[in-house]
Amino acid sequence: MKIDRRLLINFDWVLLGMVLLISAIGILNIYSASHNLYTRGEPLYTKQLYWLLVGLVLMIITFSVDYHTIIRYAYLIYLVGIALLFLVALYGNITHGSQRWLVLWGFSFQPSELMKLVLIIVLARYCTDNVQDGFRARNLLVLFAIVGLPVYMIARQPDLGTAMFLVLLFATITLFVGVGRKLILWSVAGGMALAPVGWFLILKDYQKERILTFLDPDRDPLGTGYHIIQSIIAVGSGSLWGKGFLKGTQTQLKFLPEQQTDFAFSVFAEEWGFLGVVVLIFIFLALILWGLQLARNSRDLPGTLLAFGVTMFVFWGIFINIGMVLGIFPVVGIPLPFISYGGSSLVVLLMGAGLLMNVSMRRFILQP
Amino acid sequence: MFGNRDYLTNYDPKKFRQRLRVFTWCVLCAFFLLIARMWYLQIVKGDVLRQRSESNRIRIQEIKPLRGLIVDSRGDILVNNQSSFDISIIPEIAKNAADVRNRLAGLCDWGDASIFLEEAALKSPRPFVPVKVARNIGRDKLAVVESHTLNLPGVVVDIVPVREYIYGAMDAHLLGYVGEISSSELGRDASAAYRADDVVGKYGIEKYLDDVLKGKSGGEQVEVDAAGRRLNVLGRIDPVSGHTLVLNIDSDLQKVCWDAFKEQAGTVVVMEPRTGAVMAMVSRPSFDPNLFNRGISEQSWKTLTEDPLCPLQNRAISGQYPPGSTYKLFVAAAALEEGLITENTETWCNGTYPMGNRTFRCWRKRGHGTVDLHRAIVESCDVYFYHLGDMLGVDTMAEYAKTFGFGSATGVSLPGEKSGLVPTREWKLRRFGEPWQRGETTSLAIGQGFALVTPLQLLRAYCALANGGTLYKPWLVKRIETADGQTVQEFSPEVEGIVPVSRKNLDILRNALWGVVNEPHGTGGALKRKEQDVCGKTGTSQVISLPDDEEDQKGEIPYRFRDHALFVCFAPYTDPEVAVVVVVEHGGHGGSAAAPIARRVIDGYFRLAQERGVK
Repeated sequence: MKIDRRLLINFDWVLLGMVLLISAIGILNIYSASHNLYTRGEPLYTKQLYWLLVGLVLMIITFSVDYHTIIRYAYLIYLVGIALLFLVALYGNITHGSQRWLVLWGFSFQPSELMKLVLIIVLARYCTDNVQDGFRARNLLVLFAIVGLPVYMIARQPDLGTAMFLVLLFATITLFVGVGRKLILWSVAGGMALAPVGWFLILKDYQKERILTFLDPDRDPLGTGYHIIQSIIAVGSGSLWGKGFLKGTQTQLKFLPEQQTDFAFSVFAEEWGFLGVVVLIFIFLALILWGLQLARNSRDLPGTLLAFGVTMFVFWGIFINIGMVLGIFPVVGIPLPFISYGGSSLVVLLMGAGLLMNVSMRRFILQP
Repeated sequence: MFGNRDYLTNYDPKKFRQRLRVFTWCVLCAFFLLIARMWYLQIVKGDVLRQRSESNRIRIQEIKPLRGLIVDSRGDILVNNQSSFDISIIPEIAKNAADVRNRLAGLCDWGDASIFLEEAALKSPRPFVPVKVARNIGRDKLAVVESHTLNLPGVVVDIVPVREYIYGAMDAHLLGYVGEISSSELGRDASAAYRADDVVGKYGIEKYLDDVLKGKSGGEQVEVDAAGRRLNVLGRIDPVSGHTLVLNIDSDLQKVCWDAFKEQAGTVVVMEPRTGAVMAMVSRPSFDPNLFNRGISEQSWKTLTEDPLCPLQNRAISGQYPPGSTYKLFVAAAALEEGLITENTETWCNGTYPMGNRTFRCWRKRGHGTVDLHRAIVESCDVYFYHLGDMLGVDTMAEYAKTFGFGSATGVSLPGEKSGLVPTREWKLRRFGEPWQRGETTSLAIGQGFALVTPLQLLRAYCALANGGTLYKPWLVKRIETADGQTVQEFSPEVEGIVPVSRKNLDILRNALWGVVNEPHGTGGALKRKEQDVCGKTGTSQVISLPDDEEDQKGEIPYRFRDHALFVCFAPYTDPEVAVVVVVEHGGHGGSAAAPIARRVIDGYFRLAQERGVK
């Protein structure tokens, strides 16, 4: 592959800097959350560091290949993603009652995480090909099929949080590309009609319990409400200055559930306080605004859609996860981008960042 | 398919830039929402939530104090603390708690101390907090469990102190018993000095002086993690054991009383006339206070409460009886003081005392002939006192009775004391809405009818006769000491009042009481010792009055209608040092049923005094 010098000149160092900064905060935070946790093998923060390195390699690969080429192979990529989901359904490891993991050469990996990125790519491709000025109903039906299959497969793992996340991502991108007013109304009406069906037929008892608990955490303070109550205590007790690194009592005494994964932000908020939180949120905000700016500056539709999709992917992760930790949303298993422990999530996010860099560094180069 | 470059030419960035602006604003709003929420939690509610995180982390674990001991006047321990053993399982160590539980259950026959374990306890989010599975197991079972500890991971034995009542039933009414605090008791306690699983006195001194006995809980401030595992002890306040109570009770004498009284129901109380010190108090039937230690079984409780003889009642203070002839002394004192009679006033007793269309009878059918006050008391002539009653009237009699402490509780340090009853005209009108009848005064003069006294009241009044007129408060607790023997509070005799009877008149009455025991025809001959030093008075209180023609068949009337037998006495005649009251419920005549018991107690008292003197 011939490397154009302009690519290096235009390389998005700011984006890389932000991503590395947040990832570093993430690893420190995981260290605090898990240094006194007994785990088999390597400590979690070392593992996360390995995943970071793997992710960086994949990120380099992702931005090295022209995103137009990626778009060209979008459907193939989609098929690979679906195939991985099938493999999960057939051979996946079952933990905590759901089948989400694929184990390859000793590494376990969640294809559903990868699917988030795959979905962005395939939507970018489909929209580029078929949409001139907003969606038509026919387009939507095809899109439903494209999105519906992975959503269904992930929902039956079961991993409702990720499935809903895909739907949300899809809806965001669809709105961005443009939908007629009528279609929006029909979708909202349809959604409302389907909600009770979902409640009674699709949601499992523990999922309903989570939603009820969200509405009233004190329903069951030692059971399902425990997570959110302990999380709020952890966050709030951080006050302005925080309790200090490794000094969060909620964290170190393990009152916080899932403290290195879904509730990693509580750990951070407890130990670093409001000031630390504001700094972290501003870095996140800067990242998001930077991504949206990339979408704006891209010269072509696929570039805009990819940049927008990845940015919203990160945004929704931040918003839903922090919202959940702060008790604004029900407890759903959405990790906090770059902060929560989890190899799949981190690697996929870094690849997403690679896509952003890809669009960024090629914004001045029109493909021949 | 993707070969053409349509997307390049068809791309209209303007439209998308417009939408991007909308999305940017949405993102800003979302982040603002997050920061606002964070502000609310960390800044507005920060202090509250920080406190909650502290209370999450730090537990105060109560350390229970040992309850105070109770010893008798000579230092003999009456109530001690013993160890009882509970078994708990720590779920986290047991791994499979239900399995360990089953293994435990299979070890031996557990009998009453059945193994329990709620399923819910196993799912506790704090797996390091022990879950109790058996209470109060015996030492034999403890040995079995301890020899199998290797097979019983997570099983721990807690040592729980329990009360040991050394003499069991003998002191039961006096000492009482303890039990876990009930929810109603907890609700009543405004000072919040009690906690839900506290053991408190439920009866007797244990209840009355619970404050002194219970001691003060200590506590440990422990840092725990989410699993309930103890990490650090941040601070510790040692518990303070309860105080030791030193009673005036003489355990040896208590034993004498217990053995002397073999009757079905009744009581014996021994008091020192010079001080009011209660030296012994026995009530029969009794119960074993040790049964209550770790919660009495339903079966035993039912047996106790449904017994028609009410073994849980302390008859010495809550049994109320018509005083019978023992009351005559107070009627005589009133008549002497009011100047209505002198010791020489005589009357003729032919065995009857007509009043209107009724005839009151003397207990001796053929009468006593000519009697003066001394003979009237010695031979317990009823007719003499019918006259006195008529002369005094009900209200004057009541006035004097009250000065002897009748009609109000003595204030002894025991719960559940009754006050007895001194009837007056006003009382009858209020109680029954009827005026007082003359004949009722007549009955009252010989201690029948409405008058009710508790054995302790009667004894105290006789002590006043014995000691020259001082009415003492019954004195049960001699001293309060700390657990290591430092005196906290020393009690001394408390004078409640001086009876309004002159020395001379008291001597007349005392002399008559000596006569009851030591003179021919005296009703208390059973107490006539070779030293001739006992003074006393018999009493027979009617449960119901029987028509004359049934008098002869007394032996066959049902138990519950038979008369109560009373005897009250003191000794020696000069400078009395001991006074005894005996009540035998439905025992018949005081002289025949109660006096022999009093004799055994008096004999026992002097024998003990002699033995100790020799030593």
